[in-house]
Amino acid sequence: MSDHDRFEDTAGAYVLGALPDDERAAYVAHLASCAACQAEVEELSVAASALPMSAPAMKPPPALKARIMAEVEREAALLASAGEPRREPKPKPRWRFSWPMGAVALACVTLLLGLGAGAAVFGGGGRTVPFESAPSLAQASAELEIDGDKAVLVANGLPAPPEGQVYMVWLVGPDGKPKPTSALFKPRGDGSATASVTGLDDAEAVVVNTEESPDVTAPTSPVLMTATLS
Amino acid sequence: MDVRALADEELIPLMARGEARAFEAIYERHSGAAYSLAYRMVGARSVAEDVTQEAFLNLWRSGAHYDRARGSVRTWILGIVHHRAIDALRRASVHSKRRSDDETAAERLEAPERVEEDVARRDEAAIVRNAMEVLPPDQLKVIELAYFGGFTHVEIAEMLESPVGTVKGRMRLGLKKMRETLAHGAVGT
Repeated sequence: MSDHDRFEDTAGAYVLGALPDDERAAYVAHLASCAACQAEVEELSVAASALPMSAPAMKPPPALKARIMAEVEREAALLASAGEPRREPKPKPRWRFSWPMGAVALACVTLLLGLGAGAAVFGGGGRTVPFESAPSLAQASAELEIDGDKAVLVANGLPAPPEGQVYMVWLVGPDGKPKPTSALFKPRGDGSATASVTGLDDAEAVVVNTEESPDVTAPTSPVLMTATLS
Repeated sequence: MDVRALADEELIPLMARGEARAFEAIYERHSGAAYSLAYRMVGARSVAEDVTQEAFLNLWRSGAHYDRARGSVRTWILGIVHHRAIDALRRASVHSKRRSDDETAAERLEAPERVEEDVARRDEAAIVRNAMEVLPPDQLKVIELAYFGGFTHVEIAEMLESPVGTVKGRMRLGLKKMRETLAHGAVGT
């Protein structure tokens, strides 16, 4: 059986998001070199992306917008005060599915980092947990300002992530598996960065790596920083 | 400049530079579809709000990743919502708490407010619903379980006691047929 034969019926499950992680990874690798599957994925994506329109129309509550805009305006003010707009990565090639791992080390050595100047931005009496960094980030310092189930990550001396990637925050639960969050960030020109993290309730650690796409369900590159909460 | 007059594709670069008003204009345009999809998937108001919030904050923080070659801004946003809703379903075992399409009276009381669809959305929704209704029931079922239910094809095969290959085949054939029907109704992506 050829590689293509093995995946002949897989495009539908792929565009519906119904492949288990291991099968999805294998199919993505196959896609990169199979024009026939690329064409079929493109064709079936038209149908899959129309499916949301069949959902009954619901009105989002005004309070939801208020919550979201409060966070957006807070972050916009921080960006403005830093005086540096966010940078845009170059457009991605359409069928580049393999994300570069970057030249970063896997091991997280125990390196207690000093508190960065960014801590002063937030102040307050919340619990503070320092991050331990991989050797490749030896010049960086970062900490987590925790308040209930929310936290603000404050970092300094952070290098820019590889081209086209951002730093992404993950929560590690009791099962030891990192869960994605919506906290993505890039350091400003001076290497400082902040990011809001929510949902810390049952998290045992907060880890950071770099990702090209925010739509990943498991880390695709090594962990660079770890804050152990328990 | 009134950002509300700009096209989605013009708003995204402004948003990626940190302009909150550009983000707000995007939110105004797409939050209805996003929230409707989230609620359709998770079936609980509070979880749908969390999913929508996560998705839009993700959008705000990663707007620079938008690639127009991969489809419209709406398709991109709904894709993020879909991923987040699947995460929520798998994370919080909402699956076990959900009751297929049969909501209890209490849930109906807590359900979000249904809204009248505007003409454009109503027409588009009618085309998509029609393309789904013409599918054979076994194909529609696996597509809905996968897309809205967040189940993998392996889980669906177990649920339906069907071979995995059969389930994957039904997904593919059903989407192909939907694609053909949609081509006549011209639903854009």
